[in-house]
Amino acid sequence: MLKENVYKRLSDVVGERFITKAPAILDTYAFQWCFEIESVQRGEEPSRFGIRPAAVVLPETTEEVQSIVKICNEHDIKFKPLSTGMGPWAAVSHPRSIQIDLRRMNRILEVDSKNMYAVIEPYVTNAELQAELFKFGLMHHAQGAGPQTSPLASHTAFVGPGFTSPYTGFSGRNLLGVEWVMPNGQILRVGSYEQSGKWFSGDGPGFSMRGVIRGWMGSYGGLGVFTKAAIKLYSWPAPKDFKWEISGTVPHYDWKVPPYWKMFVLNFPEWEQFEPAFYEVNDHDAVMMASCSSAEGLAGLFTDTKMEAIEAIFGGVLLHAKRYFIVLVTAHTEREFNYRCKLITAIMEKHGGNDLIADGIIAPRDAHYAESVRNMLGGHAFRFSNCFQSTHGGMDSIALAVNIAKVNQPIKWKYIEKGVIGDDRGEGVWTTAYECGHTAHLEVPTVYNAASVESCKGYAEYQDECNEVDLKQALGMPFFIVGDKVHDYYGPRTMDYPKWLRRIKATFDPRGVGDSSHYISAEKEE
Amino acid sequence: MTLDQFEEMMDSCVRCSKCKYIPQIAIKSQRFSHICPSVQYYNFHAYSGGGRMIMANAYHKGRLEWTPEMLDVLYQCTNCGGCEVSCKWVYDFEPNEVIHELRVQAVKSGAGPMPAHKKYIDLVRQKNNPYGEEIEKRSDWLSDDIEVDDGSSTLYFVGCTAALRREEIAVSTARVLNAANEPFRILGSDEICCGSPVYRVGDRDTAIDIMKRNVESFRERGIKRIITSCSGCFNMLKTEYPRYVEHDFEVVHTSQLMEELLREGRLQPKKEIPMKITYHDPCHLGRMSEPYEPYEGEKVELLSQVYIWDPPKPFRQGTHGVYDAPRNVLKQIPGVELVEMERIREYSYCCGAGAGCKSAYPDFALFASNERVDEAKSTGAEALVSACPFCKTSLQDALKERDDPMEFFDLTQLVLKSLEGGE
Repeated sequence: MLKENVYKRLSDVVGERFITKAPAILDTYAFQWCFEIESVQRGEEPSRFGIRPAAVVLPETTEEVQSIVKICNEHDIKFKPLSTGMGPWAAVSHPRSIQIDLRRMNRILEVDSKNMYAVIEPYVTNAELQAELFKFGLMHHAQGAGPQTSPLASHTAFVGPGFTSPYTGFSGRNLLGVEWVMPNGQILRVGSYEQSGKWFSGDGPGFSMRGVIRGWMGSYGGLGVFTKAAIKLYSWPAPKDFKWEISGTVPHYDWKVPPYWKMFVLNFPEWEQFEPAFYEVNDHDAVMMASCSSAEGLAGLFTDTKMEAIEAIFGGVLLHAKRYFIVLVTAHTEREFNYRCKLITAIMEKHGGNDLIADGIIAPRDAHYAESVRNMLGGHAFRFSNCFQSTHGGMDSIALAVNIAKVNQPIKWKYIEKGVIGDDRGEGVWTTAYECGHTAHLEVPTVYNAASVESCKGYAEYQDECNEVDLKQALGMPFFIVGDKVHDYYGPRTMDYPKWLRRIKATFDPRGVGDSSHYISAEKEE
Repeated sequence: MTLDQFEEMMDSCVRCSKCKYIPQIAIKSQRFSHICPSVQYYNFHAYSGGGRMIMANAYHKGRLEWTPEMLDVLYQCTNCGGCEVSCKWVYDFEPNEVIHELRVQAVKSGAGPMPAHKKYIDLVRQKNNPYGEEIEKRSDWLSDDIEVDDGSSTLYFVGCTAALRREEIAVSTARVLNAANEPFRILGSDEICCGSPVYRVGDRDTAIDIMKRNVESFRERGIKRIITSCSGCFNMLKTEYPRYVEHDFEVVHTSQLMEELLREGRLQPKKEIPMKITYHDPCHLGRMSEPYEPYEGEKVELLSQVYIWDPPKPFRQGTHGVYDAPRNVLKQIPGVELVEMERIREYSYCCGAGAGCKSAYPDFALFASNERVDEAKSTGAEALVSACPFCKTSLQDALKERDDPMEFFDLTQLVLKSLEGGE
């Protein structure tokens, strides 16, 4: 509970309409996807209800955010900012905490089409930004969390791979100028914004703070509030007069695919052929999308309902899909398009692959092209059981990604046999590469049933085992589940990086008011 | 239903916020990306479909007790079903059904509905309409030149709002039917409320009593087919009644009937109406009118942790709402140019009048109707057309408040204007 005078001060900042301490409203911030796994990992029964914040505030401006943070410092109250807030990192971890819901900060402040960046506030969503950018012939990097999530949150505080990563990289790489309300309540303008009021660079002239802001894989709301950010934009490969038009009725929508777009599903007998082909496709910097999954995943991606997906699995996809990756070729001209398609075909043939689309095994509908660039395909994984989460992470090389996939398969299979996670024969992984294949990301999406105690416990056990294997076999850092415990588990084998993170936390958050639950605490718990 | 039956889906909400927006693939602009008027106006997550599902879950698990704030959150929702369309793009959840069930619980516990709702429910009990008008007034719209066939097995169920507040819709409906030589009868002072305003705020027991009375009344009169010009009545009679009472009469909306009459050549719109118009899909004619198909089956674990229904369970997603009929009618009116808004069909934005919001939370209702008018204006249309007296009242209120010259027509009014001698 907050003291009345503190609540009153917060209320004076945002206005009575934009603050609440009503339990019925607070509880909707205490409920989060994956809390059920974290609660099991703490030795409790699985539950999506966590800690109820003491209040929720809805600021509209940076100045309001700053005032709120200052009040938190004065009264020793923790805070956690969130945008759409999907996942346990969005929630508070201490009862004496307030939630800063950034929903009212939802403006696209600037689209600089010449210098190819957009300045956005926290609650602009990927789909909204994309819809506006297409009008300029531009697009941004949208993280895999989905079209309804915040690109600012991902660019400033998360990792952010996405379906268009071969073309647009990952979120952290696309961050330019930033306006940051630090945990002590001061405002810092990062990069060129500080020096010139222009947003074009994250590294200068002016402060370069991108490494500090990001730390390992992001601060997950534990290092202040990022109130504005400029993000890098890319050319949208469609005609100038292209309009995003959807027709049809749910669940089967139609979309007019722009000219010079084509999908392939390059299928190889084993990882040994997959790996060099994946390297080559990425090395040529010629595709919008290149990512892999299991046969079950392929059926899920290119269908519109769970039942359709199940029919596709048993209707041929399971039989024919081996080690494949989906490629989306896009181009601005016919010549460029023909070159890229020939290139993809040549790489496929060189490594003994076949195209599952050309062979008629799977047929993406036109709307799936739209879903690819709108970053909606990842959401299809939820259709199987209404829930999934990922293990592993390994942001390293394509070779390491393939190694994780190989190591993971028998571990995952063990839990499938126990009947506690979804059956993809242990082969369900998701990989994408960045920057011409220089680095790659692999996670292992795993279906489980959030309403089943056994399934939650089974998934949690599987995740713990994955984490242990990651450490013992040097497979990189887990993607999602961060916080003190995991950092300290990995730190001794990874150059003691948590020491540096803790110094950053202590320096920028001297009173420890930024909720550190999924970031790091200034002091190591003994 | 009970909240118990929704427990698994309430526990499984991912809190992803998809329910706040139209289906993500359909977003064409930031300005018109929202589907949920409630969260757009009130902002806190609790005001979204998913938020209310969490709230229902917290109540069900004993974490919450009824408070005035909780009741406001529960009832500051038009129950328009938009959240459910967006949610079901991925998940097998029914947030709109959960919201309704929580309202039923609120009423059963004595906490709900809101005072404004209690007032009109009393009026429905006393006067058979939520406006408290005398029953004799239900036929005041009926002029001598309208032909009514008291022996017809087709009933024009006028509805309280068209009969007592939006009489022009009753008149244009009757005149269009006369023009097509389509015989119909009315119940006049014997007509009672369909039960929609009572049902939508959670007083299910009273609503079921009304349903039973109506069905009995229709049976006694040998009614085989019911025509409605009100989307709320259509939704009740067509979609909700079969869940609670058995009946075998056909229910058609005026948009569907006019489409049929035009196809048969019985209506011949010849007068040119040179006008750019846009069409607003009423929630209760569109996504909410999709029937609930009776289902008996069981959940089977097909793959580990992947369950399917055996036999396959109908997935009520808004696919089978009435979307094409009104558009087909508009396309046949000479001179009319139909320009679409960004949020249409199953992801149409609510007018704000639904589920008792207009009476209990008029500021919120006006916000929603203004939002919809903004969208209509963005198309460059000169007129806004819809097919529901509730939507008409709500959208006209917004136009009036902003002193906007944009005209509003019910679909029946526009068709009548296009008929020789129609107006």
